Amino acid sequence: MAWDPISWFIFFIINVLLIASALYQIVCLSDLEADYMNPYESSSRINVMIIPEYVLHGVFCTLFLLTGHWIFFLLTLPVAYLNLRKFMAREHLVDVTEVFRNLNAEKKLRIFKLGFYLILFAIVIIRASVDGTLLSVFRTTREGLDFRTSVLEF
Amino acid sequence: MGTEYPARPSYPPRSAATPFSVPRSTTPFSSSVPVVGTDSSTLSSNPPPPSPPSFQLSAPPSSSATPVGSSGAARPPASYGPPTTGPFQRPPNPPMPPPPVRQIPPPPAPFSGQPTPPPTITTASSLSPPVSFPPQSQPPSVPMGPPRPLMGSMQPNLNGPSLESSYSAPRSNVQSFSSPLLSPYPPSSDTPQNFPGYPSNQPSAMAQGPPVMPSGFATQQIGYIPPPAATASFRAHQGGYFPTGTTPQRPAPPMASVQGLAEDFNSLSLSSVPGSYDSRLDPQVLPRPLDGDIEPKFPGQDYEVNCSSRFLRLTTNTVPSSQSLASRWHLPLGAVVCPLAEGEEVPIVNFGVTGIIRCRRCRTYVNPFVVFMDSGRKWKCNICSLLNDVPGDYFAHLDASGKRVDLDQRPELRKGSVEFIAPTEYMVRPPMPPLYFFLIDVSISAVKSGMLQVVAQTIKSSLDSLPGFPRTQIGFITYDSVVQFYEMKSSLSQPRMMVISDLDDTFVPLPDDLLVNLSESRNVVDAFLDSLPSMFQDNINVESAFGPALKSAFMVMSQLGGKLLIFQHTMPSLGPGRLRLRGDDLRTHGTEKEHTLRSPEDPFYKQMAADFTKYQIAVNVYAFSDKYIDIATLGTLAKYTGGQVYYYPSFQASIHGDKLKYELNRDLTRETAWEAVMRIRCGKGLRFTSYHGNFMLRSTDLLALPAYDCDKAYAMQLSLEETILTTSVVHFQVALLYTSSSGERRIRVHTAAAPVVTDLSEMYRFADTGAIVSVLSRLAIEKTLTSKLEEGRIFIQQKIVKSLREYRNLHAAQQRLGGQMIYPESLKFLVLYGLALWKSTPLRGGHIDVPLDERCSVGSTMMALPVTKLLKLLYPNLTRIDEYLLKTSPQVDASSNILKRLPVSAESLDSRGLYIYDNGFQFVLWFGRMLSPDMAMNLLGQDFTADYSKVILHECDNEMSRKLMQILRKYRENDPSYFQLCQLVRQGEQPREGFFLTNLVEDQIGGTNGYADWLMQIHRQVQQNA
Repeated sequence: MAWDPISWFIFFIINVLLIASALYQIVCLSDLEADYMNPYESSSRINVMIIPEYVLHGVFCTLFLLTGHWIFFLLTLPVAYLNLRKFMAREHLVDVTEVFRNLNAEKKLRIFKLGFYLILFAIVIIRASVDGTLLSVFRTTREGLDFRTSVLEF
Repeated sequence: MGTEYPARPSYPPRSAATPFSVPRSTTPFSSSVPVVGTDSSTLSSNPPPPSPPSFQLSAPPSSSATPVGSSGAARPPASYGPPTTGPFQRPPNPPMPPPPVRQIPPPPAPFSGQPTPPPTITTASSLSPPVSFPPQSQPPSVPMGPPRPLMGSMQPNLNGPSLESSYSAPRSNVQSFSSPLLSPYPPSSDTPQNFPGYPSNQPSAMAQGPPVMPSGFATQQIGYIPPPAATASFRAHQGGYFPTGTTPQRPAPPMASVQGLAEDFNSLSLSSVPGSYDSRLDPQVLPRPLDGDIEPKFPGQDYEVNCSSRFLRLTTNTVPSSQSLASRWHLPLGAVVCPLAEGEEVPIVNFGVTGIIRCRRCRTYVNPFVVFMDSGRKWKCNICSLLNDVPGDYFAHLDASGKRVDLDQRPELRKGSVEFIAPTEYMVRPPMPPLYFFLIDVSISAVKSGMLQVVAQTIKSSLDSLPGFPRTQIGFITYDSVVQFYEMKSSLSQPRMMVISDLDDTFVPLPDDLLVNLSESRNVVDAFLDSLPSMFQDNINVESAFGPALKSAFMVMSQLGGKLLIFQHTMPSLGPGRLRLRGDDLRTHGTEKEHTLRSPEDPFYKQMAADFTKYQIAVNVYAFSDKYIDIATLGTLAKYTGGQVYYYPSFQASIHGDKLKYELNRDLTRETAWEAVMRIRCGKGLRFTSYHGNFMLRSTDLLALPAYDCDKAYAMQLSLEETILTTSVVHFQVALLYTSSSGERRIRVHTAAAPVVTDLSEMYRFADTGAIVSVLSRLAIEKTLTSKLEEGRIFIQQKIVKSLREYRNLHAAQQRLGGQMIYPESLKFLVLYGLALWKSTPLRGGHIDVPLDERCSVGSTMMALPVTKLLKLLYPNLTRIDEYLLKTSPQVDASSNILKRLPVSAESLDSRGLYIYDNGFQFVLWFGRMLSPDMAMNLLGQDFTADYSKVILHECDNEMSRKLMQILRKYRENDPSYFQLCQLVRQGEQPREGFFLTNLVEDQIGGTNGYADWLMQIHRQVQQNA
């Protein structure tokens, strides 16, 4: 399908963004823990990220569904559900007043998410490369070059 | 006594049973009765199995038969009682009892219920009392030829032979142990002569009273031939403890063993409680904190420089040496601090240009525990062991013993508590002036209830005593459906009001003149307060734009910070932060979601609270509504800003006016620390992991307290970071950096040390019940915010059960304590306080038992209450005063002798009496039904027959009334944090009496346990899987 390379490229980008967001939040929390940042700043920085992250993940999940990647869809579904539940319970934002009490839980959650996205990232890469689609976007020629060699050429 | 005696003759070692039986034969006691002291002997005789019989709580007929009156102080038995009970009960109320009677032989019936082994909860104390063989009357029977056997009284158990030798041994132990053990012993002066057993008899030797033990012993020995007696005496002295310790005694009394025992026992100092099987069991002997809070014990004299326990209390004055040991200490491990507690002055130290001496690495302040070395050029930090240089200005030579020669002039090196004057490095900005801002609800209900009037008057009368003259700043905003600002520039003669009705987009008109210097604008402020009540007299607005008003106040104050006092009389109904009547929604009650009602509804309030703290604003919420007002949400403002919630349900100026006046005045005039931060440091290997109270954490271990005063305490829990601690002492240092009202930046530093121990029993020995209860209550209340009330209660119960079980495992095995309940001396009141917590307002029952708002406000208060006040709230003072009032002798020192505390239970109430119940927050004056009308008339004037809910106590023109008022005044002086409003209750007058009765912690009310049952329940659980 002609759209495949493009969709895989989009997945790739989204996944990278999600990883970046998780990392950023973890860094904010560790800074807070180490007293490099005060709770107001830390939580406002994290809270800014949260809604975009949820939306992005929702898009991610939906796209998998729309493009017919059932396995990926099912993989990302639990996290989407988790996000949705937190959002509905209005617990998605970090609470400035109680940051320290929840610090460990919040951090664990984000580390778990980071791990999840990393694994997903690996799978996406493999899938994409198996399809030979990921890098096709960069290719100027449509020749059936082997993925590995193209990597070497880079 | 008598009983013992009888035993005497028989003295045959060991056969404890026999001795008693003999004498008692006449009395019901025949069987091996586990007579008190004797128990030890008895026990020996009976192996474990027998225990059941020994214990019976049931009242033997004999007891009932005996004339023993309730109070019978005179009664012999009673007299006896005191000594034994001594440790547990306060000497003053010794006699109590109805002689619980000892066990009757095999009280068959009683045991029926018990599934578990007969929980004989015998406490040491109990033991003795029981002894009181009611029939003391039998004295004659006592053959005691040699009266002197004083001690002999009870325990023959020691078996004579070795006595002498054994004797000495124990003695030494005792001495070493000395203070704790002996002290409890009340001098039983009243002991009747009859009892030979009783030391008092022996005029010569015993006269000295218990404490004298050692000497006493000597004498006894001399006089006394039968060695056994001596030992016995020893035990007797031990008083309550004994039972447990001794009981276990093995039959054989070889010296060595005795010694071992004694030691054991010393270290244990356990005792058991007499439980009652039958709930009627002699409640009198159960341990009760009738003396209020007990000063925690320190393990030795090295700790004398520790700061006072008013400031810092550890839950146990020791530190476990390893994580595994810490995990066996099931109670919280932590501290409760109250750095500004009232009391004697703390020395102030000004280092001037030298700067404050602190450790380079961990920033610990110099304190009495640092060691100067290298002939005074270096000092070693006691927290992190780093060697620091001594600045030139601070240098002093060391004398031969290694002490600085200028030690006497250095309070910071001699006292655990000091206050440093902080130089400019400790300021982010110039010290702020004291600032008070008032946010006052002027809607119709606030005006009608008289709240507005009282508030305006009180503020006005407090203006002169606001701290920080002449820098003090002040400002006002009022609100109903709109927000009114007041310009108070000093050049004006009348304040100018500006009304803002745009609620969604708040802005502040004239930001500069809303907050003014009090001394400059005093006239305007006075004029404003005078006219405030009349200005809104005819206001018929029922709305409340609280949110917008709050935001405006924030904008006005954010430059400086300060204290914001909110007077809220209606539910916030307009603008951001409006609230729903969710507490009235019955569908949520009793469900899984019930806890959401106890936590804030609208995130607006949490956000505001966080912003307030950030800008050094503390919020005190005064809530008045007679309807639901959602304290859970409003209280958030106080919770995270280190403030307080004052709740006056159904406020009526005529009734509650005095209380509001007093508390507002205290809030405004007490010494306040502004823009404060607090941190507690501890030695290597330990870390404070969680903090509990009303504040916000600014970093992992820094408590932000925009305004702090002596009425608030904070609790924190500790954990071990390293598996094994290598040091032998751990130091704790609490530092509070604040701006005083006079505009000085200061640091209040309290330092304390605690030894590292490897033995769990040491931890128990130095446990501090007050601190433990304080931490437990905070944990439980926090739990109720996120789960059901029941879980908070169960949490407390489990903690108690686990710790007692651990303790039991520690000692029960080797001592064969069978069915007894054992607990460490230091925790003897823990079980009772646990019950009191279970019944405390924030945790009690279900949603119908306590109105939601009240639950939340009391919960919020308890989260911040210092230890002593918390204990008083949990276990209030109940005193009978009619006798005192009747006494004509003028001005006798009132409270001390005649007014003694009674157990807080309906049984203490006599319908002929007049009682005061004082829990630190309110007084209840309980009039017995049979109280003479004269007295009621004297006290209440013509109102005495009226409905008491409408009667207000005031001083009448007669001696009795003056005396009563004097007592009340005295009580209030002792507890100045809150005003105790006096409520009158007549016996049998429902429903008011019902409210009062539910507060009697020891009683069985509506599905909750009474004290004895609770004890049994705990005991049973302790024994399960033990």
